[in-house]
Amino acid sequence: MTSLVEGAKRLVGRGSDVTDRIDGLAEAARSARGRLDDSLVDEASAVAERAGDRLRLSGEHTVVALAGATGSGKSSTFNAVTGLELAAIGVRRPTTSWTMACAWGADGAPELLDWLGVPKRHQVMRDSMLDEPREDRGLNGLVLLDLPDHDSTEVAHHVEVDRLVKLADLLVWVLDPQKYADAAIHDRFLRPLASHKDVMIVVLNHIDEVPQGGRGAMLDDVRRLLELDGLGGVPVLGTSAKTGEGIPELRGVIAKRVADKATIRKRLGGDVSDSATRMHEHSGDAKPRELANKDRVELVEALTDAAGVPIVVEAVRRASSVRARRATGWPMTAWLSRLKPDPLRRLHLDRGKAGNDPIASARSSLPRTMHIHQARVETTVRDLCDGVSDGLAPPWVRAVRHASTSRFVDVTDRLDRAVTSTDLGVSATPLWCRGVRVLQWMLLLSALVGALWLGVLAGAAYLQLPPPRTPDYQGFPVPSLMLVLGVFAGIALAALSRVLISIAAKSHARKAETQLRAAVADVAEELVIAPVVLELVAYRRTWEGLRKARR
Amino acid sequence: MSAAGATTSTEMITALVRLREALATVALPLDVPGAEDHRVMRSAMVDQLEDYVLPRLIQIEAPLLTVVGGSTGAGKSTLVNSLVGRRVSEPGVLRPTTRSPVLVHNPADVDWFDKERILPGLARTTGATGDPGALQLVAADTVPEGLAILDAPDIDSVEERNRTLAAELLAAADLWLFVTSAARYADQVPWDFLKAASERSTAVAVVLDRTPPDAVDEVSGHLARMLTSRGLRDSPLFAVTEGPVDDDGLLPAASVHEIRSWLDSLASDADARAAVVKQTLDGAVRSVSRRTHDIADAAGEQLAMAHRLREDVDRAYDEAITKIDDASADGTLLRGEVLARWQEFVGTGELLRSLETKVGWLRDRVVGWVRGKPMQAERVTVAVESGLETLILEHAETAAERAEASWRSVSAGQHLAEDAGRDLGRASRDFRVRAERSVRDWQHGVLEMVRSEGADKRSTARFLAFGVNGLSVALMVVVFAHTAGVSGAEVGIAGGSAVVGQKLLEAVFGDQAVRRLAEAARADLNERVTALMEEERRRFLEVLDALGIHEGDVDGLREVSRRVDDLRFADMAPATGAGEPT
Repeated sequence: MTSLVEGAKRLVGRGSDVTDRIDGLAEAARSARGRLDDSLVDEASAVAERAGDRLRLSGEHTVVALAGATGSGKSSTFNAVTGLELAAIGVRRPTTSWTMACAWGADGAPELLDWLGVPKRHQVMRDSMLDEPREDRGLNGLVLLDLPDHDSTEVAHHVEVDRLVKLADLLVWVLDPQKYADAAIHDRFLRPLASHKDVMIVVLNHIDEVPQGGRGAMLDDVRRLLELDGLGGVPVLGTSAKTGEGIPELRGVIAKRVADKATIRKRLGGDVSDSATRMHEHSGDAKPRELANKDRVELVEALTDAAGVPIVVEAVRRASSVRARRATGWPMTAWLSRLKPDPLRRLHLDRGKAGNDPIASARSSLPRTMHIHQARVETTVRDLCDGVSDGLAPPWVRAVRHASTSRFVDVTDRLDRAVTSTDLGVSATPLWCRGVRVLQWMLLLSALVGALWLGVLAGAAYLQLPPPRTPDYQGFPVPSLMLVLGVFAGIALAALSRVLISIAAKSHARKAETQLRAAVADVAEELVIAPVVLELVAYRRTWEGLRKARR
Repeated sequence: MSAAGATTSTEMITALVRLREALATVALPLDVPGAEDHRVMRSAMVDQLEDYVLPRLIQIEAPLLTVVGGSTGAGKSTLVNSLVGRRVSEPGVLRPTTRSPVLVHNPADVDWFDKERILPGLARTTGATGDPGALQLVAADTVPEGLAILDAPDIDSVEERNRTLAAELLAAADLWLFVTSAARYADQVPWDFLKAASERSTAVAVVLDRTPPDAVDEVSGHLARMLTSRGLRDSPLFAVTEGPVDDDGLLPAASVHEIRSWLDSLASDADARAAVVKQTLDGAVRSVSRRTHDIADAAGEQLAMAHRLREDVDRAYDEAITKIDDASADGTLLRGEVLARWQEFVGTGELLRSLETKVGWLRDRVVGWVRGKPMQAERVTVAVESGLETLILEHAETAAERAEASWRSVSAGQHLAEDAGRDLGRASRDFRVRAERSVRDWQHGVLEMVRSEGADKRSTARFLAFGVNGLSVALMVVVFAHTAGVSGAEVGIAGGSAVVGQKLLEAVFGDQAVRRLAEAARADLNERVTALMEEERRRFLEVLDALGIHEGDVDGLREVSRRVDDLRFADMAPATGAGEPT
């Protein structure tokens, strides 16, 4: 499906293609900023920006730069191609100190020349000249630049050449029989620009100085050296600006390239793919990945432990059962449980009615999640990073690790807050407990009444008073029944409640645990997972951008 | 050479041999800014000493070696052929041409060059060869006795071997015959060479070759000005016009007559020749000895950088040790799991703690616990083990990460870290296992300590009641609350628990013994942790040690260099009456 779309795109035009690639590079540079080496990222964004700028400017013009060593005859070639004595030539080296430009067809050219940084006084508009020889028609749309040398003692010239070589659409390297094998041109320009061989022409000037028989061999030797530079297939022309030999051919080749209009895109495409390849070497080719659910769960698990959630949950269970027992226990013994500590109160988590008081909830007194538990969290986070960044290039591994630990300082604090601000739901005594308590007291009361009654009966018997008639129930005397049933029913009720309480306490604890876990998960999400995901997204964008740019 | 001169010269040779040795051995492995330049400079200096200075000093009367060097295509070979008067070196239109250097000498001088006196790295051949590792010797009558001409490869072509060989040959020359052309004379590369020559006062003659006749005046005028402004005012400048060559590829004799006669006069005048040799030789020695200080500075920078990297590592690991030490004593370890298990062990509750002072009651209570659940002590031990282990592991990871990060913050360290691989920034793979073993060993040690301490109390009821396990667990807890950095509400939890342990032990051993035991256990733990971390630290230090940077190198270099300078001045003082400024 995608290949269909891409195929269609290619059919519609290559224009969108190079724009896409530039966008891809720009996106990759944006996403990789701060993660990959700054110099690479800077270069990539500069390339993307430059390419974008060039595309916005006149597409009707092709910038052709004549570059080469001092004395190779760039200026005489320039004059020969333009047919005008525009550039100064001489025997004193270096001759040309500034860039000279000649444009054929003025529409849009001035903006282009401004962008190239060629001052007005060094610009010549060819159609402003009155004479327009017929053969110049083919050159319409050409902006020809005569660059200074790149190898003389004048360092300012090198800087100018370096700058314009990056901007020109088509590079014409002017060599000469003496200098064609110089390391200065091969090592500094030709080899690094190997990916631009589609937008390069090599001219061997001063060919008139070579004996007729040796010319072919020398041109072959130039081709051999270019082959070694990775520039096999670049057109090599022998010219002589002095005798005019080869100049028409050069004009012809340039005219063809200018008419073609594809040169600009080829040049920009070469730039983009160079920069993208360099970035790609550092960024690596590993597939982008997502954070696995398993990793998230493990992290939350570790943080839950670190936050002391199990302790709190256990405390909640115990507290709610203690409280409920206190409420539902047999009143005669229930007071004893008051001697037992309330686990939640000990953790300073029982906020009672002041539950939402921010000051009270400021700090719990849970075992602080310092060092030992922090260590466990860090180990888990490290494992998470290792897992998720496995196979990524080292800069990205570092980025992920840095992101995951960047907010560690806050973790302890935030976990503590997460635990203290969660409503544990144990402040109120459940309704059924109140009912049981009332029942308990009633049973106790009945037992007491029964006991009192029996006491009275016993007293009366002791005093030999006639016993008052005691009502009976199915043959059992009511006071005895009241006492016995009151006591036994109370104990039985307490026992029954205990069972219910332990069930209720467990469900309480579960509820509290769910809530605490949710709170901890929020912290994990915000302080660890989100930063890591951000890095992973950045990697995905960089990877996709580079893939687009290198296509 | 006078007798005094000869001794000086012997001493000088000794000093220079030592200098060569010192230069060759000094390590410049770290990528501090400028290190690459210094490495190149160092090997150039060593080469120059080996190829030129030492042989020349040993045989001061050897023929004057004139090296014809220059750009590719400037016409060096044609010039040499024309000077010799026959085709000895193969010129060509294809660049770069000369591949193996050709040395032309008078037949009488053959002994000087036959042996490996100079340029020991190049094999001698007598036939033409394309091998750049060979030196072709050609005997020619036309070359005057006492002078030899060497046609060097180019200094600026794409052929890198040519460039390095040319630089080596030029460094071995008594006299440079530097060839440039009308198209070339403003090139940067040749001027870099000329600048170097002027800096070490090598004798240089410049030949402006292949000049169109109509441009000779303008170009040679410009070139002369350039030479003057770059400190080569005294160098002779010869212009050779571009003209047709004869069938042998030789220039007309008239074109090279000027150079030829200058060389002849130099060859025939022993004093002039000696002066040229002395100028170049003195210049070479002076420049080597001066640049030795640059190398010494560079070695100093290396040393400082190595120190810095070492300190980075030490800081990270020292901090890890301190942190573990702190965390294992301030009650931190008593939180969480350990605390929970300990409280299970001794029982808990306000009631209990309010009765803490009543040791007897407490003891009974604990006895009940211990007897009822003998597994409890075991569970505390396990909790302590995993707690300590996590603590140590994490700090080892952090320390490795920090050490690596601070290495990465400088480019020298970055290269080291990259070379060492990805694992440097992590604790070593078997660290967990070793940490586990250490912790278990420590626990075992504590157990043994309690056992031997309680040897005479073995039969006492209390001892029996708690058991060795129970007591050693209590001792661990006491150790962990050693500095008791717990405060406020936490005293109630961690500190309180430790107090229980303390009381328990005091009841058995007495408080003196408890303090001693706790100290010993703590010291033991600290020692084990330090040993573990030491092993981790060594991974970094081994990388540094492998670099071979030695403290003494810097001073050694300076000392030898000063010795050379002293001899130089001693030699110069009687001859010129005044020291030459350096």
